Amino acid sequence: MPITKLEQMFDYLAERPKKKLVAAYANDSHTIVAVHEAVKRGIIDGILIGDESIMRQRCSDHEIDPDTFTMIHEPVDTLAATMACELINKGEGDFLMKGLLSTDKYMRAILNKEKGLMNPGAILSHVTVVEPLNYHKLLIIGDVAIIPLPDLNQKVAITNYLIKTAKFLGIEKPKVALLAASEQTLPKIPSSADAAIIAKMAQRGQISGATIEGPLGFDLIVDKESAEIKGVHSEVCGDADCILFPNIEAGNTFYKTATKLMKTELGAVVMGARVPCVLSSRGDSEQTKLYSIALAAMLTQKG
Amino acid sequence: MSMEPIRSLQELAQKVISKGTLTRVAVACGEDQNTLGALDRASQEGFVKAILLGDKQRIQKLLDSEGLDPQAFEIVHTDSAQQAVTEAVRMVRDDEADVLMKGLIGTDKFLKAVLDKEKGLLPPKAVMSYVCALELPKYRKLLFISDTAVLIDPDLEQKMAMISYSVRMAQRFGIEKPKVALISATEKVGAAMPATMDYALLSKMGERNQLTDCIIDGPLDIFLACDPQSLLIKGVDTPIEGDADVLIFPNLESANSFYKGLMLFADGELAGLIQGTIKPVVVMSRSESAASKYYCLALSCLMAE
Repeated sequence: MPITKLEQMFDYLAERPKKKLVAAYANDSHTIVAVHEAVKRGIIDGILIGDESIMRQRCSDHEIDPDTFTMIHEPVDTLAATMACELINKGEGDFLMKGLLSTDKYMRAILNKEKGLMNPGAILSHVTVVEPLNYHKLLIIGDVAIIPLPDLNQKVAITNYLIKTAKFLGIEKPKVALLAASEQTLPKIPSSADAAIIAKMAQRGQISGATIEGPLGFDLIVDKESAEIKGVHSEVCGDADCILFPNIEAGNTFYKTATKLMKTELGAVVMGARVPCVLSSRGDSEQTKLYSIALAAMLTQKG
Repeated sequence: MSMEPIRSLQELAQKVISKGTLTRVAVACGEDQNTLGALDRASQEGFVKAILLGDKQRIQKLLDSEGLDPQAFEIVHTDSAQQAVTEAVRMVRDDEADVLMKGLIGTDKFLKAVLDKEKGLLPPKAVMSYVCALELPKYRKLLFISDTAVLIDPDLEQKMAMISYSVRMAQRFGIEKPKVALISATEKVGAAMPATMDYALLSKMGERNQLTDCIIDGPLDIFLACDPQSLLIKGVDTPIEGDADVLIFPNLESANSFYKGLMLFADGELAGLIQGTIKPVVVMSRSESAASKYYCLALSCLMAE
């Protein structure tokens, strides 16, 4: 059964062996509270790396028992991030989460050639799963945070991450929509041209495991009737599981509009490294952080 | 206006003959042994009225030595090759002739007159291209191919023109909705072969009803385009169904080698025509067979209507 609400991830994970989260530089309340909540819900074990006395202080600020976690003392942020990656490479952790250090330092630790989490040639990208109030399923979208203007190769990689995420959420053959301003193939508009090329690659079996359609305007992606009116007869229209955005502005504006104006919940994760990496920002709600942890845990399950 | 499709070049000639209309062909530098035979046969069969522009004396001498009846031709004397081609183009522009044909004149000089912005035959911004109707003993119908002669490395817009010209020609042969295969070395899309990226766009445009008068798909290789058996083995999903009417090639080298190989080794026969001009323009190469030259002429008459 595919997961259609973010909350359902917890039921799924509760029945499976707990995964080990490694939080890099967990000196802040936000991280500790979110990890604690996930531990309490029984989906993970938490390893916190940071300044132990500060982490203990944060725990007592929120009346959290510090013994809920495994704590490792490393008071320097970059070293804490490096150590987190090393733990994962040694097989002592299943996925990574960002603490109080800057995104820049966090990413640099992941991307470090010797001690990081990348395989050669891998493309790092960001996948978000949103739960729109008036859509019948989850929407898996990318890239709204890491790759500003993906080229064709990167778009293919992002598409594959969307498909992979959908499969981990129990969707057997995900329907992937390639977003552009309209369904017309307009060779001079890169979003439209790339979408046509990716759709053709999928038709030729160069991207597998999904039904892929594009270029499509947003209306056609989420509304079957709009698609029919415009003469596009595709099973993707009105029933899309995944949306590939042509650039970061479009994707970022979409998810922020959904969360800020329409109370949409979401979880997000960085893909492309050896393990999923949670990259929540301080602006994210507690709920979002919890969903992001759950999503990363989902992605570490056996496929 | 549905008609039984023309399936061979012989049927093409019969079609033109049976219509009984006389097409006026202006030949620039008609003192040309290369083309006279085809012109004579076509006029004997009553579908061509040949107007030979050039050196009157030399034309008459040539007709005499070839044993052809001078009464069958209209001869217009000009003082130079340049004057002959300029006048021939003018006649076509002014509706005094229906088809322009290259005689004994350099291709460069001939095409320069055709391409002349004010006095030529190419509308502003039109793409000049070349389409051949190819007859092959091993294929069940004619195959329209482009571009074998003019566009060296066509971009997307030029490919669109090639498609539109080929489709229009196939429709004149009675194929209402031609199947257009965009040819590559493989059916896969990838930046390593840039034409395949154009093909992805073009076939998506077809899917979106932006190209409505044909069924179009690509990239496909020639096996997948023309052989249902190969399609079955490879399991590629394409509306061409191994039954292509039109093959669009990625560049001149591939198209040119394709047809020449078939002419030499597989008993192919062809008729070809310049495309994009306001009226048909025939350029025959010296190496073409007598039959091909005759079919080129017949093709120009079909397209001149």
